Amino acid sequence: MTTDNNALRVDTIGNLIDPKLKPFIKLPESPSEKPHLIGSKCSSCGEYFFPKRAICPNCLKDEKPEDILLDNKGKLYTYCIVKAAPLGFDAPYAIGYVDIPEGLRIFSPLTECDKGKIKIGMDLELIVDKIREDEAGQAVYGYKFKPVSL
Amino acid sequence: MGWNKVAIVGVGIIKFGELFDKDWEVMVEEAYLNTINNVDKGFDPKDIQAAWIADCRPGAHGTQTIAGVSLVGNIGLAGIPCTHIENGCPTGSDGFRNACLGVASGVYDVALVLGAEKMRDKSTAEMLSLAAQGHPVLQRGETAMTMFAPQAMRHMHEFGTTKEQMAMVAVKNHKNGVYDPYSHYRYEITIEDVFKSPMVCSPLNLLDCCPQTDGAAAAIICRADLAEKYTDKPVYVAGFGMGTDTFYVHEKEDFTEFVASVRAAKQAYSMAGIEPKDIDVAEVHDCFSITEIINYEDLGFCKKGEGGKFIEQGKSDLDGEVAVNPSGGLMSKGHPLGATGIAQIAELFWQLREDVRNSNGAGDPGVNEKRQVKIRKGYGLQHNVGGRGISNSVVTILTRNK
Ligand SMILES: [Zn+2]
Repeated sequence: MTTDNNALRVDTIGNLIDPKLKPFIKLPESPSEKPHLIGSKCSSCGEYFFPKRAICPNCLKDEKPEDILLDNKGKLYTYCIVKAAPLGFDAPYAIGYVDIPEGLRIFSPLTECDKGKIKIGMDLELIVDKIREDEAGQAVYGYKFKPVSL
Repeated sequence: MGWNKVAIVGVGIIKFGELFDKDWEVMVEEAYLNTINNVDKGFDPKDIQAAWIADCRPGAHGTQTIAGVSLVGNIGLAGIPCTHIENGCPTGSDGFRNACLGVASGVYDVALVLGAEKMRDKSTAEMLSLAAQGHPVLQRGETAMTMFAPQAMRHMHEFGTTKEQMAMVAVKNHKNGVYDPYSHYRYEITIEDVFKSPMVCSPLNLLDCCPQTDGAAAAIICRADLAEKYTDKPVYVAGFGMGTDTFYVHEKEDFTEFVASVRAAKQAYSMAGIEPKDIDVAEVHDCFSITEIINYEDLGFCKKGEGGKFIEQGKSDLDGEVAVNPSGGLMSKGHPLGATGIAQIAELFWQLREDVRNSNGAGDPGVNEKRQVKIRKGYGLQHNVGGRGISNSVVTILTRNK
């Protein structure tokens, strides 16, 4: 299921990305690049946000937090493996909460859903992959985290 | 001495379950009749000056949109003020809290709070998808289970809490439910049964989860000094609290606790002027087995990390340090969101009066009696936690002590 990361170029995959997720993902533009999530950082208090926010809830100033590319590596804080899926999703799939160096915790599907292979604390990296199918059966892409060791 | 400005003088619920034969209006009417017909000294509906209707997601669940008039229009009270409350899993208990504020303000002497929810009219897959509404980054497989199962995983990782301990919560609550005629499920289960039930969201099996249930419950409250007109055994509201937390699960620092619960409990204990050790009986939010284990810690029944041992040592049994979920809890009684908190309050009303035997005359008194808790200090605690991102909790402390 996992697609070769290098092939995930903005020109080939851009059309398959869930349109609602587009503002939150920076796709690779060349084979040497990796995908990144787009968060925001408050210029006043320095706090990071994902999903990005238009106003910092701590400062409530006019200045808009600036968009920033977030680190695409993280550690698994906790997870679960879903066996009863909502419509459009194929079970089983794993959901993780991933801590990234900016101090943020990201809610994300994981590529791996074998219980023996997922461990709290493991190193993960961001990839772009199929998330679900829409009503017409068309694959919808988004981001996932993949264990670095696998 | 507790706050005690408001008294409960009557409660009523209907049998929870898959009520395909009853529409919303019928559930509401039955819960209302069960309530007004079971006030000790009789009750004239004309005494009700204001009402609150608690129903969490009527539109999403296929019921028509609910407004205040949906309640009063159906029970012959059109004319009085009535407000619709919707506040996640604590919808019913927050409705009760708002009704208490209405009476305590001095504007109303007597008020009705009624909670109802139809949850079986849509398929489970459809219902799961409803949970995924919200921000685009969360519409990728988020369900109620992906909020609570990772908490279980982290609690196991940090404190060594086991699947067996979680299963013990389900075993206890199902056992209690056998003695509650209002319960959706009335059968005992074993730890083995929990392990053999289908895995829903690892580490939670099907029997670690509460069912989806239709139901309704109501309570009549009044100014404490007017209570004796209706009963010689009122139950007073000693305190309440409502806590909130960050909107999203991923914004929470610590997945081994529910900060909203800790905040709600702190407010309620302080208002009641008591400590966790003063609670004889509690009806807490066991939407999943792990939730009840975390609740023991958040509500102060045991230290952080010791919730697993608390259930294992039988401290939450009917004859334990604090009897938790004598009604069978959400797990066997069911969790019709708007009705849940009010049904918990109804159970505590009967428990604190040591009157479970005659709870609304339902079922066999000899069977009911088997879930009666021995009341020592006279305090009961009601708790819900949930809502979007597990970010909202209500705790109510009730007492029979004047
Ligand atoms: Zn700021």
